[in-house]
This record gives sequence, C-alpha cells and structure tokens, in this order.
Amino acid sequence: MTITDETILPTEEELTVQEINLTGSVLKTAAFHLGKACEYENNEFILCREETQDPRQCIKEGRAVTSCSLNFFQQIKKTCASEFTQHANCIDKSSSDQKFEPCRKTQAVFDKCVKDNLGLDRPPYDYFNKIHVHKTARPKPPVEGPAVYPDATPGLPDDVEKPPSKYGNRYLFFW
Amino acid sequence: MPPPGGYRPISFKRVPPVSYFSGAAMIGGYIGMIAGAAYLYVQNCKAVTKRELETKGASLALYPMLLAERDRAFLKQLRINREEERELMKNVPDWKVGTWYGEPIYLGADKNTYFKPDIAEFYAHSSYEELKKRVDFRFWC
Repeated sequence: MTITDETILPTEEELTVQEINLTGSVLKTAAFHLGKACEYENNEFILCREETQDPRQCIKEGRAVTSCSLNFFQQIKKTCASEFTQHANCIDKSSSDQKFEPCRKTQAVFDKCVKDNLGLDRPPYDYFNKIHVHKTARPKPPVEGPAVYPDATPGLPDDVEKPPSKYGNRYLFFW
Repeated sequence: MPPPGGYRPISFKRVPPVSYFSGAAMIGGYIGMIAGAAYLYVQNCKAVTKRELETKGASLALYPMLLAERDRAFLKQLRINREEERELMKNVPDWKVGTWYGEPIYLGADKNTYFKPDIAEFYAHSSYEELKKRVDFRFWC
C-alpha cells in the first residue's frame, strides 16, 4: 500500500455523514433539477478534486455536495412527492436503459410542480454538457515552477565569444 | 418450296420496352428521393444527438454527488486497510506499514503525499472474488 503511517487520513467521524440512499432511476429522474439546484456546491467540489487530485482535501466540499443534494431531495419529497414518484416510476419501467424519451408527459407534470413549489426551472437538455464559468473564492493552487538542480552543469556565461563556425553548416534542402 | 402464297412476313418491327418515366424525370426523382432521405437522416441524427446529450448531461449532473460519496467510502476503506496490514504484520520485526521494511514506494516525495493505491493493493485484504467482482465489473453489468 502507498498509505503509510505518515499519510494523514481523515477520521471516521469526518467521513460519516448521512448518505443519499436512492437508486439509479430515482437519481436519474432528479438529475437535471439536482444539478441545477446544487450547481455551486458541485462546481466547488469538482474544482477542488481537479486542482488537488486528492480526495482527502475535498472532504468539506464533498459534505457540502451531499448535504445540498439531501436537502434538495427532502424538499422534493415535501412538495412534489407524488409527481416525482410517478415520473421516476415511468423512467424506471418504460425502457430497459431508463430513457427520458418515453416519459415527457410525466416529466412535464413534475417540472411544473418543481417550478411552482421550488421556483426551479429545468435546465436545457445540454446544459451540463456545456462549459460554464464558475466564480469561486477558492485560492488558486501554487504553480510548481521548473525544477532547479544544485549540481546541474553551469551554462556558458552570457558574454562568451561566439565565433562563426569554421567550416560552415551543412545544409541540404532536406537534410 | 415455299408454301403457296409465299412465306409469312418476318416480324422485324422493333418493340421497345414501355418507358414509364423520361430520363429527366428519373434523375429528378432520384435527386428528390435522396434529398428527402437526407433530410430525414439529418433530423434523426439531431434527435439521436439530443437524446445522447441529455443522457450524458444527467450523468454529469449526478457525478459530483456520487463522487463525494465514493470518496468517503474509499478513504474509510484506506484506513481499514492500513489497520488490517498493521494487524497482519504485527509479528514481523521492523515492518513499517505502507512500506517494504521502511523503504517507501516513492522516494523523495513528501511523506503526506497521496498516491492512489493500485486496485490489487486496495483489495489485498479481501478475497479474490471481491477483486474480481470489481475488476470484471463491465462484464457482468
């Protein structure tokens, strides 16, 4: 293992939060609204992950993502439970790979309910495929400069004499 | 000898096949059909692209949530693995966890640097069946 005693791992308490115990079709049903509702948290988390390439440093952001998602699902359950269940049921059972296509009618009902209760519009179908600018307060990670080796061969001094080469250069049109 | 009254006249009149369409109509029809088919093809392509983008978008929207959950489970398991290795190697003198008798995998790196463990290492303390389930995931799913 690459994990030694010196490697600091987060404690069990830091890693234990209430998880979202939902199945794939339900998550897929809520995906668009969830992505829109938790856009800031998601972007922060993914930015952290991409910048640090280290899951240990993004525990806080990850917790924010999960709590936001949990909050979203709780709100859905409070306001649009029947519409949501109907749509999820349709997505789950209408096709073998949970297509959105056969469920536009239940989707419209669900969208309207979410719009009325949570004021959340369904983003366009390619919203999450496009690049969006994310404004963050997160400091930029330091850029690692070029490596400096103390025993590297010193270069020529700047004022060294550079006479023209004695025999010219070899130049053929392709060689 | 020819029969009386002579032979019947030889039928040599050309019988051309019935032409249903003129050349211009056939070329025009061809172009028209191709154009119609191309239109339908493009419409279909657009619909398919839209469908794929929507599916991909849904999975991209869920990705952070699933990744956050996975990260936590992963880090918990790393701690469990470390304790398991300590327990397993407690009778070996000079054994240091995560190293080969004190020799780390990456020399010169900061002690706290995170290196993602190899999948076989991650599953080292579980059964081979569990590793196989994870590695061959794409075959049975």
